[in-house]
Amino acid sequence: MRKHRGDRIIVGMMMVLLIAGLIIIYAIGPMRANFLNAAYDQDTISENHFFVRQLVNVIISIGAFVAAFKFPYEKMRKFSKWILLLGIVLSAGLWILAKAGSSIAKCELGACRWINLGSFGSLQPAEFLKLGLLLYLSQLAASRKAEGKLSKSDFWLPAGVASVISLALVVVVQQDMGTGVVLIAIILSTILASGVPLKQFILVVAAILVAGVGAIVVAPHRLKRVETFLNGEEADSYHIENAMIAIGTGGMFGVGVGNSVQATGYLPESINDSVFAVMGETFGFVGLAAVVMIFVVLLMRILRVAGLARDTEQQLVATGVFAWIAVQMAVNVMAMTGLIPLTGITLPLLSYGGTSMMFIAIALGLTFQLSCFTRREKEISNIKFSNSHLKRGRLKEGAARRNFKGGRGLKKEALS
Amino acid sequence: MESNPRLKFFKYALYAVVAVILARLFQIQILQKETWVAKAEAQHTLENTIKAKRGEIFMMDGEEPVAVVMNEKVYTVIVDPMTAEEEEIREVLYNDNVVKFTTFEIEDVFSDRTRRYFVAAKNVPRELAKKIQEVEPKGVYLQETTKRVYPEGTMAARLLGFVNVDGEGQYGVEAAMDEELKGKDGLLKTVADINHVALSIGNANVKIAAEDGKDVVLTVDRNIQAGVEKILAQKMAEFGKDQASALVMDPRNGEVLAMANLPSYDPADYGNVEGAEVYVNRVTSDPYEPASVCKGFTFATAIELGAITPETVFYNKGYEIVDGWTIKNSTWDRADLLGPTSIQNAFNWSLNTGSMFALRKLGGDETAINEKGRKILYDYYVNHFGLGKLTGIELFESKGLINDPVEGDGRDSLYANMTFGQNLLVTMIQVASGYSAMINGGEYYRPYIVKGYMENGKLVPVEHEGAAWRAVSENTSATMREMLWGTRSLMRTSGVDPVGYYIGGKTGTAQVIRNGAYSMDEWVATYIGFGGAEGQMPEYLVMVRIWKDGETTGAEQYAQPVFNEISNFLIDYLKIKPGA
Repeated sequence: MRKHRGDRIIVGMMMVLLIAGLIIIYAIGPMRANFLNAAYDQDTISENHFFVRQLVNVIISIGAFVAAFKFPYEKMRKFSKWILLLGIVLSAGLWILAKAGSSIAKCELGACRWINLGSFGSLQPAEFLKLGLLLYLSQLAASRKAEGKLSKSDFWLPAGVASVISLALVVVVQQDMGTGVVLIAIILSTILASGVPLKQFILVVAAILVAGVGAIVVAPHRLKRVETFLNGEEADSYHIENAMIAIGTGGMFGVGVGNSVQATGYLPESINDSVFAVMGETFGFVGLAAVVMIFVVLLMRILRVAGLARDTEQQLVATGVFAWIAVQMAVNVMAMTGLIPLTGITLPLLSYGGTSMMFIAIALGLTFQLSCFTRREKEISNIKFSNSHLKRGRLKEGAARRNFKGGRGLKKEALS
Repeated sequence: MESNPRLKFFKYALYAVVAVILARLFQIQILQKETWVAKAEAQHTLENTIKAKRGEIFMMDGEEPVAVVMNEKVYTVIVDPMTAEEEEIREVLYNDNVVKFTTFEIEDVFSDRTRRYFVAAKNVPRELAKKIQEVEPKGVYLQETTKRVYPEGTMAARLLGFVNVDGEGQYGVEAAMDEELKGKDGLLKTVADINHVALSIGNANVKIAAEDGKDVVLTVDRNIQAGVEKILAQKMAEFGKDQASALVMDPRNGEVLAMANLPSYDPADYGNVEGAEVYVNRVTSDPYEPASVCKGFTFATAIELGAITPETVFYNKGYEIVDGWTIKNSTWDRADLLGPTSIQNAFNWSLNTGSMFALRKLGGDETAINEKGRKILYDYYVNHFGLGKLTGIELFESKGLINDPVEGDGRDSLYANMTFGQNLLVTMIQVASGYSAMINGGEYYRPYIVKGYMENGKLVPVEHEGAAWRAVSENTSATMREMLWGTRSLMRTSGVDPVGYYIGGKTGTAQVIRNGAYSMDEWVATYIGFGGAEGQMPEYLVMVRIWKDGETTGAEQYAQPVFNEISNFLIDYLKIKPGA
C-alpha cells in the first residue's frame, strides 16, 4: 500500500497536551521548588528548575515521536521481542540491584521502580514492558491469526508467558498497581481486537479477575485498602481530599494560571500524578472538560487508525496504543476525582517526568506512522457498508467491492 | 482487509468512561463547589494576630518622665531537628553565652528528628540572637518577642504589678490599667502555603493594624519613691518589723508622689515569692483600722458643727462605759492626765475619752451618745472625708467598711470606737485623701496617680477634676492644721522638725482583731502628717503604716520616727524653703 499523508490531528492533539502541560509546570514549578526547598531548608532548587527540565523532556519526547514516526515499522517490528526482553531484563536487574542495596535502584516506600541515571534523571523499565508487550503481542496475534491458530496454544502459550512475566515484574516486584492496570489493558485490548473466540477472552478476563481477587485476599494490606476505599476512608485520603479540593475550588472557569494555592504544598505530587487536579483548580470545569475532550479526540483518531489499518498487526498495535493512553488517562483522572483508589500513575503527556512522556510519544509517533498507510476513508465507508451486507446477505467481500461505485444506490435498493 | 467489529467496543467503552468522568467533574466543580471552597479556605487561611506593643510605664524624675517598666526585644530559638546539624547547633546554641537560655539539653532536641519544631531557647537577648543569625545555621529560626524589663528592680513592684506569661497584667498598675497598656491586637488574615508562609494569591487578605498600648506616666516621683522605700527598709531593719507601707501625696490636689509597700519582690522573677500576699498594694487594697488617726476626723466634724473647739474642756476620767463596755484610754494609768482637760490635750495625748466626748456633743447630749450624733459622724466620715468608699484612684482599691449608724445592735459602743478609728475598715488612700481635705483649706480632691501619657516622646498630661466637694470650712481646716501642729511640740523642741517649717501629724495605734476580739498583744502603728514652709499651705502629706504580726507596734515608737525621716527627706528633696 502506498504511503499517504498521516493523521495530523494526532500530532496536533499531542502538541496541545504537551503545551498545556508546560504551562501548568511553568505556573506551579516555582511553588514546588519553594516547597521542597522549605521542607529541607535549602535553596538548591531554582524557580525554573521544573519548567526547564520539563521543557527538555518535551523536546526529547518530540524527538522520540519523530524517530518513531520516521523509523519504518517494517524494520521496527523485528525488534519487538528485544524491546520486551530489554524491559524484562531491566526490571529483573532492577530487582536484583535493589536486593543488593545498590544506589542505582531508586526506591520509594519499598517499591523500586526506577533506575537511577545520575544527572540524566531516572528511567522506569516498566515503560519498556508496555511498549515491548504491545508490539510483541500484536505481532504474535497477527501471525497466529494468519495461520489460523489464534485460538490454539501456539498463541496462548507464548502470549501468556510474556504477559504473566511482565505483570509479575510490575505488580509483584515493583508493586506498581497503576502500571499493572495499563499492562492488563494493553494485553486485553490486543487479545480482544485480535479476534480470539469470545469464550476464550472471557476466560482470560475471569482468570485475571480471580488472580486479582486472590492477590487482594492473600495480602491483608491490599484487602484493607480495598475495604477502606469502599468505606470512603482511604489510606491516601489526604491526597485524594486535596486533589478534590483543588478540582472543586476551580469551579466553572478556574482560579487562573499561577493562582493555585493547593500547589503550594497542600496537594502531594502536584507536578506529576496530581497535575490534573492542579489543572482543575487553574482552569476549572471548562478547562478539564477541554483536556478530557482533547484526549477523546486523540484517542478516537488512534482508534480510527486501528479501524483503517492495512493489516491485523498494525490494527492491533494502534488498538494497544489506544488502550494504553486511554486507560492511563482514565485511571489517573478517576483516582484524582475519587472514583477509584489511588494507584500512582502519571497523566499522559501532561505530568512532569521524562520516561512516561517519552514512551507515550514513541507510541504516538508509531501510530502517526501507521496513519500514513491506512486505507482510504471512502474505501472504509464502503467496507462498513459491505460488512453489514456480509452479515445480512452473506455476500463475499469481492462482490461488495464490485458494487462500490453504486454503493448508495445499492444501499437504497437493499433497504427497499 | 476486513473491518474489525470489536473496535466498536473500545469506542463505546471510551464514551462511557468519559461520560462518567465529565459527570463527576460537573458534580465536584459545579454542584459541590461551595463545599470544596470552604474546605480550601479552612485549610489555606492563616490568621495571625499582630501583637500590639504593650505600653511602658513611666514615673516622674522631677519634671522629666522616666521609664520604670520597659519592653525589651528578646528572641525564641526554634530548631527543626530534621534539617539542623547537631554539631552546628552545639556550636551556636550550646556555647557559654547562649546555653543559659536553652530550655532543653541538646540530646533532647535531637532525640526525635521527625519532630520538626522544637523550642530550644527562650528570652535570648538581641545581641546574642544577632550573632546566631549571622552564622545562618541550618534548621534554626528566631522568633521575636518582647519581655518586660524593670530598670529599677524591685522598686515600687507592688504598685506596678507584673505581666504574666500570657501577656496579661497582674496586680498594680499593670492589672488596673491593663486595657490601656495592652492596646489592641491587629489581625492579619492571609492565604498561606502549607508552611504557613503568606501568599500574595487571592484577594481575601485582611490586615488590621495593631493599636499599640499607651505609655502611662505616673505622678509618682521616682526619687521620692526610692527615698521612701529606702527609709522604710532602714527603719524596718532597725525596729525589727517586717511589714511597712507608706504614701506620699500632694494635699493640694490629690496627686500621689510615692506609694511604697515592703517587702517587695522582683517583677522580672515574679514567680519567686512565698505567697501572693507580697503582690498586694496595701495602700489601696488592704483596709484596716488606723486607730487614733481618725480622732482628727471626729474633732474636725465637731469643730465644723460648732460642738467643740480645741479649747473646750471636758472631764477625763480615763474611761467611759458604753453599752456596758468599758472603753479605756491607752494612757489610763497616767493619773496626771485625769480630770478636766482640753480637746487639744486629748488630741496630743490621744485620749479616747476626748473623741467620745466630741461624739456626745455632736448629738447635743453631753451625757450620752445618741442617734443624731452617730448619723452626723457617719455623714462626715463617709460623705465629707470619703472613708469607706472608693476614692476613684486609677488602681484597684477596696471599699472598706463604715458601719451603719442606725441599723444593728450596740451602735453606741461601735460609734464610740469609731471616733478613735477602731471598728471600721478603711484604706490608707481613703484616710490620706480625707486628711488632705482636712488640712488643705477644706476641699476634697480625689487622689490620682496617672499624670498623663507619653506621645511621641513627650508627656501629654491628663486633666484631673478640681476639688470634688467641700469637706469642711477653711476655718475648720486651719484649726485642724493647728491641732495637728500642736501634737508635735516635742518634735520641734527636740529638733526633729527643722525651724521654719510647719509640720503636723497624728499617731494611731490599733489593736488587731484576733479570734474575734481586739488583742492587747498585737498592734499596728500608723502615723499621718503634713509638712510645708511656715506660713504656707502644706506641700506634702505622708502616711505610714508599720507592723509585725504578733508584736505590739506602737505608733509613737515606730510609725512616727518613719514619718520624721520621710518628712525631712521631702523638705530636702522638694527644696522647700523655710518660712519667715
